[in-house]
Amino acid sequence: MPRQRRQAAAPAVRAPDLGIEGVMAASERERTLLVRRHLRSGHKIRYPGNVVVLGDVNPGAEIEAEGDIVVMGTLRGLAHAGSEGDAERVIAAFRIVATQLRIAQYIARAPEGELPPAVPEVAQVRNGQVLIDSYAKYVAERTGD
Amino acid sequence: MGEAIVITSGKGGVGKTTTTANLGAALATMGQRVALVDADIGLRNLDVVLGLENRIVYDLVDVVEGFAKLKTSLIKDKRFENLYLLPAAQTKDKNAVSPDQMRQLVSDLKQEFDLILIDCPAGIEQGFRNAVAGADKAMVICTPEVSSVRDADRIVGLLEAHELRQPLLVINRIRPAMVRRGDMMDIDDIIEILAIELLGVVPDDDAIVVSTNRGEPASINQNSRAGEAYRNIARRLLGEQVPLMNLEEAGLLNRLRRMIGRSR
Repeated sequence: MPRQRRQAAAPAVRAPDLGIEGVMAASERERTLLVRRHLRSGHKIRYPGNVVVLGDVNPGAEIEAEGDIVVMGTLRGLAHAGSEGDAERVIAAFRIVATQLRIAQYIARAPEGELPPAVPEVAQVRNGQVLIDSYAKYVAERTGD
Repeated sequence: MGEAIVITSGKGGVGKTTTTANLGAALATMGQRVALVDADIGLRNLDVVLGLENRIVYDLVDVVEGFAKLKTSLIKDKRFENLYLLPAAQTKDKNAVSPDQMRQLVSDLKQEFDLILIDCPAGIEQGFRNAVAGADKAMVICTPEVSSVRDADRIVGLLEAHELRQPLLVINRIRPAMVRRGDMMDIDDIIEILAIELLGVVPDDDAIVVSTNRGEPASINQNSRAGEAYRNIARRLLGEQVPLMNLEEAGLLNRLRRMIGRSR
């Protein structure tokens, strides 16, 4: 049974709710930006769709995507999925070592001093909290639907 | 036609100037014609580390402004036949020079020298842009501290934006005993984040403090561990394959210390 890692969520902190206007048509929402490099400190990507990074996202780098974020490397920087308010969006990475994760208006801090496992993980919002599961568990739940 | 290498770090105090001086001295003893350029205008240091402070007549700003010829402004080192220094101005600031002027200056130097080492100021502003302008390659200095690694990472990104891809990494001031105890980031941690090629590792060495204050590069000191590391880096820069030196302090005393659990 893959263990579930609970982020020390801070549901009291809410980004501004962007409402109906922020939600795009389904076809438009699925456009995806492929980034074939490391994102280093100071780099910032803002994209009205999904973002896939073939590389690492280092501390001090930022990704703000209206859709999902997938990092085919280690996520150490700041990732904000569903930045226009879509809380169904996820953040997936080979390793999540980020100090903070944001999905829609939810912001979660990593628990202090706990070393994240070296397995692919997916972060999503459940019951108003950002939770991180192993990728294996995430997939198992999806296919079980 | 020579090659220009900018030595940079983002963070201050990690050893850019020390590395520039020591690599310059080591390369000069290996027969290379080397020019060192102090691009830290307003905070001139490289002349002091080389012990050449009292020989400065003209400086980099005099050259780009046309007050002095490049050849007359270059200071010949007092120990090494092939080593020259172009000092920074002390009374001006970074805005006294433009990237285009630096590009011209470095390209003039490349006609006369095999290697040009440019000592970059700390920060990411005008001074950085000037220092990288004429460079063909970049060397990033980083100490085993989170803040230094973070700044080095930022610098690697900015270097890419200036068309300086694949910079070379020098990890400075590593303390093997602290790494062993898990109190200091180790080499692998740093490389994992920065993901650039490692050129060398320089151990923390008291001899550097002494040599810097005396104006004598440690890389000519056969007894200095850091000096040896700098000589190795110089050889690698010239294309030689040199294995990383064993950072564990040898010697009976250290082994005894370790045995009685008082490793330092």
